[in-house]
Amino acid sequence: MHSLMRTRWAALTVGLGVFVAACGGTTSAGGPAKASADKQVLRINTGVQPNSLDPGQQSYDYEGIVGRNVFEPLLKPTKDAKDLTGAAATGKPDVSSDGLTYTFHLRDNNWSDGQPVKAADFVYAWGRLLNPCLAAGYADPFYDQTVKGGENYANIDAKDTAACTTYVKTLGLKAPDAKTFVVTLQKPAGYFPYIASLWVGAPVRQDIVEKYGSDKWATVPAQVIGNGKFKVGELVANDHITLVPNSQYKGDQAQLQKFEMFFISDSNTALNKYKNGELDVLNVPIADTDALKADPKFGKQIHTYKSLDTFWYTFNNKTAPFNNPAVRKAFAMSIDRKQLVDKVSHGQYLPETTFTPEGMPGYQGANADLKDLLKFDVTAAKKALTDAGVAPASLTVSLLTRDTTTNKTLNQYIADQWSTNLGVKVNLEVIDSKTVTKRIRKGDFQIYGADGWGMDYAHPQDIFDIQTTGGCHGTQWDCYSSKAYDDLVAKGDAEKDFNKALDDYKAAEKVLLTDAPFTPLYQRPSVDMVQPWVQGITAVTLDESVYTPGDFYTETIYISQH
Amino acid sequence: MGAPSRGGALLQVQRFLGSRGGHLAFYVFKRVLWLVPVLFFVILVTFVLAHAAPGGPWDRNGGRELSDAVRKAKDIKYGLDKPFWEQFVIYVGNVIHFDFGTSLQSEGIDVKDRIFTGWKYTAQIGLLAFLFIVPVGIGTGVIAALRQNTWVDYVVLALSTAGAAVPNFVVGFFLVILLAIIPYKFTGGNFALPVSGPPADDAWFGIDIHYLMPVLTLAFLPIAYIGRLTRSSTLETLRQDYVRTAWAKGLPERKVVIGHVLKNSLIPVVTALGPLFAILVTGSVVVESVFQIPGVGKMFIDSIGARDYPVILGLVIQFALIVAIANLIVDILYVVIDPRIRLE
Amino acid sequence: MAVAVAGAGAPAAIDWEVPEQVGLWSDAWRRFRRNKVAVIGLCLVGILVLDAIASALLSTTGHYLWADPFKQDVNNIFAGSSAAHPFGQDELGRDVFARVLKGAEISMQIGLLTQLIILVIGGLVGLTAGYFGGWVDNLLMRFTDVMYAFPDLLFIIVVVAAMGRSLLSIFVAISVVNWVNLARLIRGQVLQLREKEFVEGARASGSTPLKIILKHLLPNSLGPIIVSLTFGIPQAIFLEAVLSYLGAGLPPPTPSWGVMTHDGYDAISADPVLVIFPAIAIAITMLSFTFIGDGLRDALDPRMRK
Repeated sequence: MHSLMRTRWAALTVGLGVFVAACGGTTSAGGPAKASADKQVLRINTGVQPNSLDPGQQSYDYEGIVGRNVFEPLLKPTKDAKDLTGAAATGKPDVSSDGLTYTFHLRDNNWSDGQPVKAADFVYAWGRLLNPCLAAGYADPFYDQTVKGGENYANIDAKDTAACTTYVKTLGLKAPDAKTFVVTLQKPAGYFPYIASLWVGAPVRQDIVEKYGSDKWATVPAQVIGNGKFKVGELVANDHITLVPNSQYKGDQAQLQKFEMFFISDSNTALNKYKNGELDVLNVPIADTDALKADPKFGKQIHTYKSLDTFWYTFNNKTAPFNNPAVRKAFAMSIDRKQLVDKVSHGQYLPETTFTPEGMPGYQGANADLKDLLKFDVTAAKKALTDAGVAPASLTVSLLTRDTTTNKTLNQYIADQWSTNLGVKVNLEVIDSKTVTKRIRKGDFQIYGADGWGMDYAHPQDIFDIQTTGGCHGTQWDCYSSKAYDDLVAKGDAEKDFNKALDDYKAAEKVLLTDAPFTPLYQRPSVDMVQPWVQGITAVTLDESVYTPGDFYTETIYISQH
Repeated sequence: MGAPSRGGALLQVQRFLGSRGGHLAFYVFKRVLWLVPVLFFVILVTFVLAHAAPGGPWDRNGGRELSDAVRKAKDIKYGLDKPFWEQFVIYVGNVIHFDFGTSLQSEGIDVKDRIFTGWKYTAQIGLLAFLFIVPVGIGTGVIAALRQNTWVDYVVLALSTAGAAVPNFVVGFFLVILLAIIPYKFTGGNFALPVSGPPADDAWFGIDIHYLMPVLTLAFLPIAYIGRLTRSSTLETLRQDYVRTAWAKGLPERKVVIGHVLKNSLIPVVTALGPLFAILVTGSVVVESVFQIPGVGKMFIDSIGARDYPVILGLVIQFALIVAIANLIVDILYVVIDPRIRLE
Repeated sequence: MAVAVAGAGAPAAIDWEVPEQVGLWSDAWRRFRRNKVAVIGLCLVGILVLDAIASALLSTTGHYLWADPFKQDVNNIFAGSSAAHPFGQDELGRDVFARVLKGAEISMQIGLLTQLIILVIGGLVGLTAGYFGGWVDNLLMRFTDVMYAFPDLLFIIVVVAAMGRSLLSIFVAISVVNWVNLARLIRGQVLQLREKEFVEGARASGSTPLKIILKHLLPNSLGPIIVSLTFGIPQAIFLEAVLSYLGAGLPPPTPSWGVMTHDGYDAISADPVLVIFPAIAIAITMLSFTFIGDGLRDALDPRMRK
């Protein structure tokens, strides 16, 4: 069981979300009239330049938006995000009765240089992804309990090229013919199609990679031959990347003639660019929410999109005082989440006292049993402390947090909540992001946050995995470990009847909220400004809507006359 | 074709070294040679400090971490699994061959190429600021000196004192408020100068209004510096006999100023251009961060945040070289301009 | 460290001569007083120092000069100026005026303490190198060359990254890059002085090197040192502000002026006023110290006494 590595909580991201009706349906039919071809330009801000244009070497959300438009993986989410549908494949794979063999049938499509896409391209690409000598960052969903032979990934000496090559040949990847791609697994894994839908598993061209070099081929836009709707037109380092339609693409051609993504990390600069009409979509900076909502012009361009995500603080349950569940609960119960979201987040967030986010099956926020376990209640929190024999005045705790703008403000507020409501002393440690990671990995903290997770798919398994023994986002510290919880989650994962599974997950969530190794804080919808001339956005809950909603179905986006 | 006799060549060399030009050449040679150990220590200190910073290039900024097996594979791929001193020796060896390695953050990108892309912006802004600083700084300085103890002089003095004492990012904030936020409020959202960011694609020579505020911010301090310097050196020149004579002869002001005053009063100003260069380089770190210009200054801050060791090192080496060369040029200029200065 | 980032004067450029007599202080003070701008600077700095001392002392008793700089009021985020909050309220509804007042404490700490560290290190090294000469001197000069090769802001950023963000690491980083200038200055002074008769005399009468340094060399080179340190204060304050602005300085909720400008700039479109007050505070402080430095330089410059 393995949840995917969505890294959208990277330092600079500000929000994301499910697209709601605001910007309208899926087609241009009946919509405003389309502008001329030269005006079909969509300009968005991804904040950071992709570290690589090689999909196999990408892993961050701001890379995914480029990766999955220039390359096309086997599958993609359906528009309601409840299931998967074919992308490079004709549809979902055939699964053998033992659940070990997945057969994907490829549809007819061309690379941007006109050559046909072949199953062998997938065998090559997945082999590259799983090659320890190439050290792709996002390899683990593909080797960890999934692709056969991948279990040996960690044992291969990455210094030994020959060993790497031999190992890649042993992997359970086959192309019996040009249009059939067969993957054999180590053991049954029903969630495997979700992994196959990741853009890092898109095909790459062996001849191109070998001609220009494995590290170098994707550094020059003209050499990036993809099978996606777009190709890379231009990359101006540290400034922007421009995607242009791939005329060889078979399927719904993109209507946009230019898809420009800027790399502006400062929200003030981006906001100014949007106001000057130099950007078409922009995530609203928290501090500017009220002013923009009140603005006669921009107020109308703001749309709020709910999203399947959740944010929390982790308590270090291995050291005092947070090895005591009563102390953890007291801290969890003394945060006024309503004030937090209404005032400090200027209404952008939603308060949460449970783990599973709203909109997911198994959401417990309306369930009286669970939603009040960690609710805001200063009297109860103080009593919990007293009962545990802890004198608040003698307690000094430290809150470890990354130095991003949003984090900084929210964490100062929560630290203040604890000192005001409980009378404890809170040291706020706002430090460099890498230092924070280093300290979490060593378990050198008392409270850490806000940590978050955006769903990869609408199945509770995706989120419950995080709190299982050895989970903790792969940070490797000796984190929360409860046999009762692990067992319930395992039971839910294995349960074939989804409704019965939900009962198991609910029981697991109860264990979690009673033990409180963490405290839920908020859910973060994406509040975006969209220029009135952007039409036909098809939003999916899994979009990187902090950058632009509709990035899975970019072919429906067009610019209307203005 | 016989080569000149050994003795003759030696004599020539001796004669050359004995001359002033020879002294200068030898001095420059010595200074350039001295750069080698200096750079070595610069690399050593930066290498140690960069690696001492907690966390590493494979740590994430939140969310899910890379698996341990992938981290190990990446360490091996980039040679980070080797002992620290071995990494250092390898790096220095590569630098000797002008190989600065590839970025850890950006797959396959050569550090040299990466730095080069940043220079496009830093150089544009630096050059524009320079073109702005020299005439404005010298002009105000000369005018203030010619009108000494009038209100013009006082205004220039006050401004240049403020310019030298107010941090450049504060200047930047005030410009943003003055040129972008206030006009924006007063025109009901219809007009505001672009605060920042690189210029648009179709900009003239890559230069457009986006550079206005960064260039003004970067130029503020140096203008004050050059202005003060010009004012005092012009005052000094005005007291010289030949200038008094020129006035006495009844030459028009323009002729006196250009022909007699400027020629001499600019000597110390020329030598200040070296430090000015260094100001533009260090100033770029702040200005590019305030205005989101993707130049080398911002790249430096970003590469530290990413623990991209080769990029950090490459940038520091390059900054160190620039500062050293600027200082060397200034020293040579001193010698060339003022024959009394003795070379050590 | 070739160039002062703040550009606050260039004390090293002055051709310091050795004062002929030691009892020049009353004379200097008279000259300093005549410099109106310098006196204004001194008054402003006096107010800042009083503010800093008062807020430091009061905070130990739980009282405040104006209001609690850490008290949040999230119902009034970005509220404008009012009688209770003359400078308005910030992104967590805290009183900006109270924070600016408290910020003086941190800026003064940084300005004065770094100069103290610089004086100790720079003084020791400079005196030793100047007095003993030889390899000690040589080593110092070579070290200076290496330090000069780093642009100082970059060096400070790397040091703070390595040491972590705290007041201590900022002290260390700023001191480490700035003591070299002072050491060189003192070395130069000592080199000039030690050829003078009174030092020769002291040496002949059998005084130990330490005694000579303390009794004769130090008092005689005090003028330039004071001027150099005075110019160092605004530079240190500036560096703290820049570091905090770049996100490498002090962590929030510390109400340092640098942190406040950083947070204020984040909200510049929402509430442009936030960034103005700490920025003005930094500018005024730096200006005041620069005025004092200019005044001291003129007052202590022996050439001015002719």
